[in-house]
Amino acid sequence: MVSVEQVSRQFGKLAALDRVSLQVRSGEVFGLLGPNGSGKTTLIRVLTGVLLPSAGRALVAGLDVRRYPDRVKAAIGYATQEASVYRDLTVRENLEFRARLYLGARAVPHAVEETIRRFGLQDFAHQLAGALSGGWRQRLAIAQAVVHGPKVVFLDEPTTGLDPVSRRTIWDLIHQEAARGAAVVVTTHYMDEAERCHRLALLYGGKVIAQGTPHELEQQALQSARVVYCQTSLPLEQIRAMPGVLDGWPSGNGIRLILENNGPTPSLPLQTVYPNLEDVFIVLTRQPSPADNPASKGGPE
Amino acid sequence: MNRIAALAQKEFTQIRRDHVLSRLIVGLPIIMTLLFGYAINFTLSGIRLSVYDGSQDRISQYLLQELQKENRFALTHTAQSPEQVTQAIQENRARVGLVIPAGALQTVRQDKAVQLEVYVDGSDPNFAFQAQAALRKVLGDVNSRLLAGKVLAGTATTPPLTPTLHTLYNPEGKTAWFTIPGIIGLIMTIFTVLLTALSIVRENESRTMESLISSPIKSYEVVLGKVLPYFVIATLVSLVVLSIGHWVFGVPVRGHLLLLVGLIVLFVLGSLGVGVLISTLARSQIQAVFGTFAYILPTIFLSGFVFPVEGMPLFFKWLSAIIPARYLIEGTRGVMLRGAGLETL
Repeated sequence: MVSVEQVSRQFGKLAALDRVSLQVRSGEVFGLLGPNGSGKTTLIRVLTGVLLPSAGRALVAGLDVRRYPDRVKAAIGYATQEASVYRDLTVRENLEFRARLYLGARAVPHAVEETIRRFGLQDFAHQLAGALSGGWRQRLAIAQAVVHGPKVVFLDEPTTGLDPVSRRTIWDLIHQEAARGAAVVVTTHYMDEAERCHRLALLYGGKVIAQGTPHELEQQALQSARVVYCQTSLPLEQIRAMPGVLDGWPSGNGIRLILENNGPTPSLPLQTVYPNLEDVFIVLTRQPSPADNPASKGGPE
Repeated sequence: MNRIAALAQKEFTQIRRDHVLSRLIVGLPIIMTLLFGYAINFTLSGIRLSVYDGSQDRISQYLLQELQKENRFALTHTAQSPEQVTQAIQENRARVGLVIPAGALQTVRQDKAVQLEVYVDGSDPNFAFQAQAALRKVLGDVNSRLLAGKVLAGTATTPPLTPTLHTLYNPEGKTAWFTIPGIIGLIMTIFTVLLTALSIVRENESRTMESLISSPIKSYEVVLGKVLPYFVIATLVSLVVLSIGHWVFGVPVRGHLLLLVGLIVLFVLGSLGVGVLISTLARSQIQAVFGTFAYILPTIFLSGFVFPVEGMPLFFKWLSAIIPARYLIEGTRGVMLRGAGLETL
């Protein structure tokens, strides 16, 4: 459904995307995971026809985004960051407006009613979008991106700023769209959320540094590093500076450490634990250039 | 105090960071002051004059020569009959008309007064007043020269040239008759330019424009769809202003109403374009508001809304020629007060 081959995008001298390649299939929730500035949104903009790629080929719904931008746009749905809906329109008016951009007049009422039902918006249909809470407004943002039944759906940070309960609901809705048969591309910088994707790509500095199911990524990370838990009272800075330690941070009463597989093992009481995606991300981003400044690595800003 | 200072300093920093806004804040007053200091001038020049010269003698030629001195009046139309003089004013080929009766030289020699008929376009009272003053001054000069010669010759002392003034279209010099057509132009400018610019900038600010771009809607469809409501609103509002002017202030509509509406529609279309242009330059709503100010202030001063175009230096006359509101205001005044038809506009 989405096929990206060696796509690059320059902004002046800055390479926001550097030879990115990935595949997304129908019925799949595909995660683009990476810190802010890693190129997630730029990639989405290229795939939604908002930006043109500087190089490479991108097929969306089987169509080249450069050659058939209009046909691509008709086949996709896109929810931008920050739940951009019209706050001075009601829920129904927002959905009607979006539906009318894509569908003939006859098909609009049914599509709107069906979407309101599917997203559980019945009770809010006559409320202004601006009066909704963050979670419900985000729900509306996704609803208006799929009201016309697109084959490919792009959701840019649909859960940013939401509480855990709302985030769960949003993920249920995302999977519901995939179950309908759509290919859903979701960006996030919440590492724990990435585990909810069928497959995902780790973006870092405009490059895809790894791609696969969450399990595959974990296995890939374990090839070069392992994650351990260690009960110690030594200062964190001192442990981080030890040879063979990639990173470490407080966890409960102790410290969680990422150790290089082929490096020296610190003489501490170590207990191997299973890596989560945050560990994976750190392992995989540190590999190519170990001299990188750790300050630019972090997760959400 | 400390907290007030902290807040004030933060505001200053934010203004400084907004490059467009800070430039407008500094540049706008300077440019406006320089512009209007030079542009606004009540001494008219190049007043367009239509003359019927029934005498064709030394006196009439001397008078015409004096009128055109220092480019006070410009002879733009020579009438073949007294009636053609007023017709020329209605058709906007001249704004002041002068009828010189036959045999001026003989009349002066017989020591009688030459009765001049003067017609002034009164649709702009400011202009009418200034034009009359300019004409009187020239007549006074000519009279004193003629008298000086006659006194030497020892003949009597009646002023040789006496004008009879006729103010056309707005004989009582009612201000509302002059301002209402202008106000239509001004309101239209503010409405269309500001509202269009704001609505597009708001779409950009809330990032909903990105959703629009990613949908199948074409760019021209976005522009037309955004502009259409304001076009309808602005046209309706102008009709309301027009009705108030007509029913409350008694401003006549002597020309064709359809022509007037056509003019307004044409103008609204142009202003919407300016609004779209501002919206592409402005990043935020406040920038759009300031940008609209930068457009509207010259419109007020240079369109002839308050100050007659005839009073401006040449450069500003040119500048005013590119201001759309000038044509709307001239047009509405023409249609409403002079009863002008399509051919004269």
